[in-house]
Amino acid sequence: MPDERPDDRTARLVRAAQRGDTLAMAELLDVLAPYVGRVCAPIALGQGADAAQEALVAVFKSLRTLKDPAALHGWVRAIAVREAIRTAHRAARTVPADLSALPARGDPQLSADIRDVLDRLSPEHRAVLMLRDVEGLDERTAAALLGVRTGTVKSRLHRARDTFRKAWTS
Amino acid sequence: MNEPWPITDLDPVRRLHALAGGIRGAHVTEAHIDAPFERVWDLLGDLEGAFGQVVPDMERLRVVRRQGERVEALARSRYGMRARLRGVQRPGWCWLQSRFLLLGVAAAPEGPGTRVAFTGGVRLPTHAALIPLGVRREGSRSIQRLTALL
Repeated sequence: MPDERPDDRTARLVRAAQRGDTLAMAELLDVLAPYVGRVCAPIALGQGADAAQEALVAVFKSLRTLKDPAALHGWVRAIAVREAIRTAHRAARTVPADLSALPARGDPQLSADIRDVLDRLSPEHRAVLMLRDVEGLDERTAAALLGVRTGTVKSRLHRARDTFRKAWTS
Repeated sequence: MNEPWPITDLDPVRRLHALAGGIRGAHVTEAHIDAPFERVWDLLGDLEGAFGQVVPDMERLRVVRRQGERVEALARSRYGMRARLRGVQRPGWCWLQSRFLLLGVAAAPEGPGTRVAFTGGVRLPTHAALIPLGVRREGSRSIQRLTALL
């Protein structure tokens, strides 16, 4: 269907996949895998591929429960964030969020490796940053997605995002 | 400033796991093959040749249509059953289904060798499900046959 709009195509694939069409599932996987990888990698870091795989397994296991195909994007995002945080914790990669150790503004290390900055944050901090800076969510939406109060997201941002951005925008 | 946020891309073997995870009764058989990816995929990507020798119960497979990555093929099993398979094939990935059959093959470089994964079986129409009979045994046979061909 060459003239089909991307949203219409995705909705069609979701409905077909929900009916058990595994070809539609495979096409949907091609659509979702890059997005899930972008969500999972900043949170799970070295376990990004594990997290993305687990997230996609969870997506396809529960796809039949998705009532509105138009809600796919947000639904997948919530699953991916949850799996990425879980995977990061399970891998015991969590380090204390010692933000005083962040490189100073203008430090050439920053331009060398954003991973090093993310590495110093907890998975929850990384999730908040990613949701704000990559996904462009407001605090209320990010809080709902993470299952915490808006105030918690604000304080996490205060501790993580501001320092992060100060370090990055010189 | 354009911030280079980390991204990750799932290789075909991981993608196969993700899809099979959503198909009830599906089992993924995975193995490391001590041969480079190009050599392995030369065999697995040859639908009308080696592919049929690797996949159990497949006597013959004939591609009747190909458009980009999309493939349509007629398959005949050793027991005489026929199937019209439709799906997608590209380097490292082959996913084919008919009304009653599902065949999934993935491969990705792993060091100097290759990681391969197989899934598939008899489909339950209108469900993302396979009849869980012999799915593990057939996956193991595929690995054995592939290794023997190499």
